[in-house]
Parts: sequence; structure tokens; C-alpha cells
Amino acid sequence: MPIIETHNIIKDYDMGKVQVRALNGIDLTIEQGEFVAIMGPSGSGKSTLMHIIGCLDSPSEGSYLLDTLQVSNLSKSDLAAIRNKKVGFVFQTFNLLPHLNILKNVELPLMYAGIPYKDRIKRAREVLANVGLSDRLRHKPGELSGGQRQRVAIARAIVNNPAILLADEPTGNLDTQAGGDILSIFSELHQKGHTIIIVTHDQAVANRADRIIRIIDGKIVDGNLAA
Amino acid sequence: MAISLRESLFIGLADMWTRKIRSLVTVVGIILGVMSIMVVLAIVNEMNRSTLEWMTERGGINKIEVHFNWGNDKSDWSKANFTLNELKYIRSQIPEAAAFTPMISDRESALTKGELYYRSTISGVYPDLPKVEEWQVAKGRFINYFDLDNNNNVIVLGSTVARELFGSKEPVGDYVYAEGQAFKVIGVMATKSYVKPGTENFGNFLEYMNKRAFIPLSTMIHKVSPSQKIDRINVRAASPEEALKLQSKLESIILNMKEGKRLFEVSSAKEMMDEMKKNSQVFTAIFILIAVVSLLVGGIVIMNIMLASVQERTREIGVRLAVGARRLDIFIQFMIQTMLITSLGGVIGIILGYAILDLVGKYLIMQLSASLQMVYVALLVSVGVGFIFGIMPAVRASNLNPVTALRNE
Ligand SMILES: Nc1ncnc2c1ncn2[C@@H]1O[C@H](COP(=O)(O)OP(=O)(O)OP(=O)(O)O)[C@@H](O)[C@H]1O
Ligand SMILES: [Mg+2]
Repeated sequence: MPIIETHNIIKDYDMGKVQVRALNGIDLTIEQGEFVAIMGPSGSGKSTLMHIIGCLDSPSEGSYLLDTLQVSNLSKSDLAAIRNKKVGFVFQTFNLLPHLNILKNVELPLMYAGIPYKDRIKRAREVLANVGLSDRLRHKPGELSGGQRQRVAIARAIVNNPAILLADEPTGNLDTQAGGDILSIFSELHQKGHTIIIVTHDQAVANRADRIIRIIDGKIVDGNLAA
Repeated sequence: MAISLRESLFIGLADMWTRKIRSLVTVVGIILGVMSIMVVLAIVNEMNRSTLEWMTERGGINKIEVHFNWGNDKSDWSKANFTLNELKYIRSQIPEAAAFTPMISDRESALTKGELYYRSTISGVYPDLPKVEEWQVAKGRFINYFDLDNNNNVIVLGSTVARELFGSKEPVGDYVYAEGQAFKVIGVMATKSYVKPGTENFGNFLEYMNKRAFIPLSTMIHKVSPSQKIDRINVRAASPEEALKLQSKLESIILNMKEGKRLFEVSSAKEMMDEMKKNSQVFTAIFILIAVVSLLVGGIVIMNIMLASVQERTREIGVRLAVGARRLDIFIQFMIQTMLITSLGGVIGIILGYAILDLVGKYLIMQLSASLQMVYVALLVSVGVGFIFGIMPAVRASNLNPVTALRNE
């Protein structure tokens, strides 16, 4: 049973007079527990696809089955619950809240999940320990290095133990050393059974994955199982 | 399961703390609005309280007074007079009146007791006077109908008169001299006192009553001063509602009696009270308008600042949505923040309003004081302003699309 299954997904951006077609008929199948890399030139639609998979955005046309659920039938609060529990998102630019310390940042998804304060703190500390940041709990994101910030972002993405982890160029802003650390964490999570999808421009990074999917001009040109 | 209110409150407080100065500047309008509400309520409370107290001391709101109509032709003054028969007739026409006394136009007279001497105002009255004025006799008794029928030389003294002439000695049973005649002192009236709070150095506004003395109307007319005019009547109605009816009835009786000439005016305390209430309502309305306008302006300022804040925090909202916040969570977060800011303004306004009450009171010569009711109203209003003007920014924040919000630089 695939955890992600899309049929002919199209995404158009309405730019007033012209329409930009970011995705042009995506048929994608990803099995539970896979580690997949997505590659493609800039502007080919990788981020757009990731947003749709992560339920941050919705397609203009086509169907998307997430764990057999038809996403287009879900309500806004169902989608919020999916973003909260089912998928974790890691961004290239970290997207941490600068005025909160890293413990609070990691707590955020637990808070929206309605988990009591004590349990939240415990769980957030645990996850931050897993990414090697136990000694930085009270630091603000601005006081950390890029690699450390990305580890906080990963901790936040996995704190609710989501089935799927989406990472859009997670090592793009990092040097080789820090990038390597991040990839080790992903490998570890993959071992534990999480489904991982990672967008990258770096062939070496992509080589860590089970499968590489290539996108050009909003179409998958290589690496699809279903094909 | 949206996040709890406590959680939202905590986020709101933290937000406010990170933007302390701005939060404070934001609420200036609310502070001013709440301050004026405090002052208005204090003034209205005090006006109502002191009016009622004044009225009660002056004989209550059941009192009706008939007196010369200064608005009419002044040359009629000499004709404005009631005969003893006319008085009897008027009384017989208004049996429903609880008490009735004419007042002979006040006559300044020297009262003497041995060596001592005091200039008092002597009035000729009916036995009903204490009832009409709600004025107790402190010692002895008041004039009765026997005194009236027999033109007795008896006198009841105001408390100041008694003190000046008798000091600590017992006046009741003793004699004083007035207009060349001896009068037996049969009673002393209770002291009338009304001190307006804040104007203590003006003294007792009703002291003039304590300087009066009363003798039977018949004695005044027949033995002391036959030329004296009877041009005042004071009546007491059974109830404030009766007072208004009795007032118009008296008006028409007297108008008929005086062949349609408006020689006399009939006024009632109830009517004056209603008039004063109306005036104070106008005054209240004006101040409430000022308060509402400043709260509105304050609210609009807050709304704009909150809209700017939503704009500025678009990315943060995007992040929150991306990690699972619902639209309702975002909505509540911004609503609570706005309401917290306005309540902060409310609290500051209450404190400052309380602080300036004394100042305003000195200026208006009033004793203004804060009450719990004022604090509740002020708090309610400031939270309400936050609620109303928080809706639009909160709706805007909660309607953001996660991806668009995250793209925002
Ligand atoms: N919000 C938007 N409005 C209009 N056009 C958009 C929007 N988001 C993306 N696009 C367009 O859609 C296309 C795909 O963009 P997308 O961000 O998915 O590319 P990408 O593959 O992630 O590129 P990169 O490798 O540079 O991140 C681009 O042509 C882009 O200009
Ligand atoms: Mg991209």
C-alpha cells in the first residue's frame, strides 16, 4: 500500500494575465518507509510538489491520496492535523521563530497537538537530545550555527513522530560537514521506519536515498515506480 | 482540539512582552477613554448622591411650594397675598395633601432674653410645618391647633437661636421677647445641616434655617404685624407621584382664586429633581460621547497597529500553520493579544483615572470617589474595544495561506 499516490497533479499559478504551470501532470507513488530524493533544475517544480505532498498547498487539478485518504476531500482543520502529526517539514531556510528559544520552537507542534505542558517539555528535550542539542535548550535560533538551526528544525519536524518527513534542500545552506550530520540524522530516521522525501541539487546527497526522482518542467522524467 | 485558552493567553503575553514599548504606545487612546469614563461615572454618582441628600435635607421630594411668581408683572407683588379664609378654602380643596402650612413672609426681628439679643427671622406658620419640612422638634413640642385658635404667644426656636439666647440653659418653658411682647418658648427645632463635600469652608448651606423662629400664623397676623402678607404655602404630598398631581391641582385652584392672574408659582421638589436628572443626563451623554469617541479612535489605532503586526509576522504565521496550527488557533492568538493590550490600557486608565479624580474633584468643587462599579465598567469597555477592533486583524491573520505566508520576506 503506497503512503503517497498522486494522479495527474497540475498546479497553476495565476499571475494576472499569464498562468504559470508549475506542475504539469505528476503521477507519483511512494511506498511506506522509502527514502526518496527529488532532483531537477531550478524552477522545475520541486518545492511546489513538496508543498502539495505536505498539505501546505493544494493542487489545481488531479488527485492526491495520502495514506489512502483523498486529500481534496479533507477540511482545513483536517489538513492542519495532517501538518501537525502526519508530516514533518524541513525547509532550506530553517523557518524557526526567532523570538522563541529552541525548546519552545520544538514544543510548538506538540502545543498545537494539545499535549500538556509537562509532557511537551519532556518530549521536546528528548528529541533535541537525539539531534545533539541538549546543551542549547535556552538559546534563541539567532545564537546558533546554520547546522545547529537545521537540527532544531528537524527536531521540530519529527517531534510529533510523523510518518513522513519532507525536506526541501535541507543542506542547501550548510557546509559539507554540517550537511553530513543532517544526512546522518535522516538515515537514522529512515532506519526507524519513517518515509523520507528530500529535495536536493547535490548528487552525493541524492545517492544516500533508495531512489532518485527527476523532475523537469513540472513533469517526472525518471525514477517513478509506477512508470 | 484547538490549543487551550491558557496557551493562547501565554502566547499573547509573550508577544506583548517582546513589543513592550509598542504595546504601550498603542493603548494611549484606550487609556484616555477609560480615564474619561472613570471621571464621568464619578461625577454622575456624586451629582445624584448630593442632589438627593440636598433634597432630603430640604424637606424631601414630596414637598410642594407656592410662592410669588417673579416671572409675572412685578407690580402685582403687593396683591400677592392669601387671606386666612382663602387658606382654609385651599386646604379644604386638597384633603389628599399629607401636610399643609402657609408661611407668612419672613420678618426680621430682634429676640431678647435678659441681656442677650439675637436677630432672627420669625415666621407665622401652621402646626403642620415640621411635617411639611420633615423637620423634627428636638425639644418640647411644636405649635398646635389650640395655639393657633387662641392666638397664643408661643414660640419655637431654631437651634442656633436657642444656643445664642440660652447657651446651655433650658429654653423650653422660659420666655423671650419679640416685637415688644413676651413669648413662651415651647420647643426647639433639630439642627438642619447640609455640608457640600469638597466645599467644607463654605459651611452649612442650611444654617439659615437654624436661625429662624416660629409662632402661630394667627398670632403673627392678629397681634404682631397685621399688615404682614401671607404669600407662601408649603405642602407635603403623600408620595412623589402624588406631588406632581397635587402641584397642578394647586396651580389651578390658586389661578381660579386669583381670577386667572399668575401671581403665584407652584413648584415641586419632584419636578426640580426630574429637571436636575435631565440636566445630569445631558451632561452624562456629552461625556459618554467623548469617552466613546476616544475609545473609537483608540480602537482604530489599535486595529491598524495590529494589522501592521499581522503583516510583519506573516512568516511566523506561516510557520505556525506549517507545524499544525489551525486557523482558529491563529485567530484566537491575535484576538487575545489585542484584548490583552486593550485591557492593559484599561488597567493603566483605571489607575490614572483614579489618580486624577481628586484633581478634577478640586476643580469642580466636588467630592469624587471611585467605586467598584466604575472599575468593572472600565475593564469591560476596554476588553470590549479589544474584542471589536481585534476581529479584523485576527481574521486577516487566520485567512493566510501557509505557502504564501512562508514566502513572505
Ligand atoms: N507563489 C507563486 N506564484 C507564482 N509562481 C510561482 C509561485 N511559486 C512557484 N512559482 C513558479 O512555479 C515554478 C516552480 O517553482 P518551484 O519553487 O516549485 O521550483 P523549484 O524546483 O523548487 O526551484 P528551486 O530549485 O529554485 O527551488 C517556477 O516557475 C516558479 O516561478
Ligand atoms: Mg525549491
